[in-house]
Amino acid sequence: MSEIITVGVAQIRYSSSPAVLRTILGSCVGICIYDKVKKIGGMAHVLLPVNQKGTLNPEKYADTAIPMLVKELIKEGAKKENLSAKITGGASMFKFGSNIALGQIGDRNIEQTKLELRKLDIAILVEDVGGNLGRVIDFYLEDGRMKVKAGGQEKIYYKV
Amino acid sequence: MDQNIKQQLDVIVSRIDQLPPLPEVATKVINMVNNPDVSFKQVAQEIAKNQAMTTNILKLCNSAYFSKGKEITSIDRAIVTLGLKEVKDIVMLVAAKPVLMKPVIGYDLGQGELWKQGLAVATMSRDIALAKKRKELADVVFTGGIIHNVGKVVIALFVQQAFKQILDMVMSQNMPFHIAEKEVMGYNHQEIGEKILEKWNFPPVLRSIVRFYQDPEISPEEHRLEVSIVHIANAICLMSGVGIGSDGLYHEIKDAAIKKTGLTQSDLEALYGKTPDILKQIRDLQ
Repeated sequence: MSEIITVGVAQIRYSSSPAVLRTILGSCVGICIYDKVKKIGGMAHVLLPVNQKGTLNPEKYADTAIPMLVKELIKEGAKKENLSAKITGGASMFKFGSNIALGQIGDRNIEQTKLELRKLDIAILVEDVGGNLGRVIDFYLEDGRMKVKAGGQEKIYYKV
Repeated sequence: MDQNIKQQLDVIVSRIDQLPPLPEVATKVINMVNNPDVSFKQVAQEIAKNQAMTTNILKLCNSAYFSKGKEITSIDRAIVTLGLKEVKDIVMLVAAKPVLMKPVIGYDLGQGELWKQGLAVATMSRDIALAKKRKELADVVFTGGIIHNVGKVVIALFVQQAFKQILDMVMSQNMPFHIAEKEVMGYNHQEIGEKILEKWNFPPVLRSIVRFYQDPEISPEEHRLEVSIVHIANAICLMSGVGIGSDGLYHEIKDAAIKKTGLTQSDLEALYGKTPDILKQIRDLQ
């Protein structure tokens, strides 16, 4: 068994093959970034889109966590041009009152995540996002595949 | 409806011995605290009778979550230092943990996940009560938060059998998960939870929280604020992924509950943003 590293809410974790990064997502978005040459990868588990208060807890927000993760991966020896991303999560509450903006937080997280990855020029190869199901994610650093378990069903995305 | 499952649940709810037990001291304490004629000495004596629980209670009194700095070595001291209601909350934690630690298979929650979600919802519910200057509700919504999901422990096995049917109904009829649970199995986990609390002889406000936490607008008027607080805390914790199971986010956040509590849009977002801190806080209670 490879080592399983749990990525908590508002955390960034990275490692190298053959470690597995695992997280559980509701409206949060999980961003899996992988260098397929070096077999180094990391995951950010972001709770909110934009860090309005500056540097406080950068791992919590898409706009600060994603650049931070990329920086860490490069420090670990990854090459920027080898990086690609898979994104998942961002589910919404099934029904919410028309006045409840928090109901759309999943969509806002997805949108911001895409924006940040575009800014960094990192391709998004897989999007398993939205809907109303929770997701359990396993990100395998031996080959960069991502397993998504939702509503009792598993999907595996191999593209790297 | 699956008549086979319904009949089995009929039997379970009509036979008290099929529902999970709770140490008697917990029921006694919870009702004593609500009785103005009972002195704190009497409560302390009642707790101290149960040696095994006392040890665990003192451990929690000295945890980072509850400690006020000075080491507490007796239940008497605990009540003086932390207050009667806080000690009652701690008794509830110790008593309910074995019931809620179990894995709940049908909802895809591993061992300890239901417990963790209860702790997070309890802590957030208490924070809401305090933020809304309703300190007198803090202990009730805390206890309610801990046990709001207790019915899942009993019904999980049946949810496992009926899961596909329930999810199909959710999708095809556009209904929240707990409504589909009732359509398919004749009961949902809220109703089973209420039966468990009847068995435990818990006060009406806690029964209302367990029964109506997904439908606060139809809860008894006198408990609606407490129920609404737990409703909101539960929804926010699930959104942040805490205790999210196979039922996912097939639930609602209701305008009526938001209105009842007076929480604003930015309050809600702030609560959601606080979940990582809450998870840190509850770590030593898990």
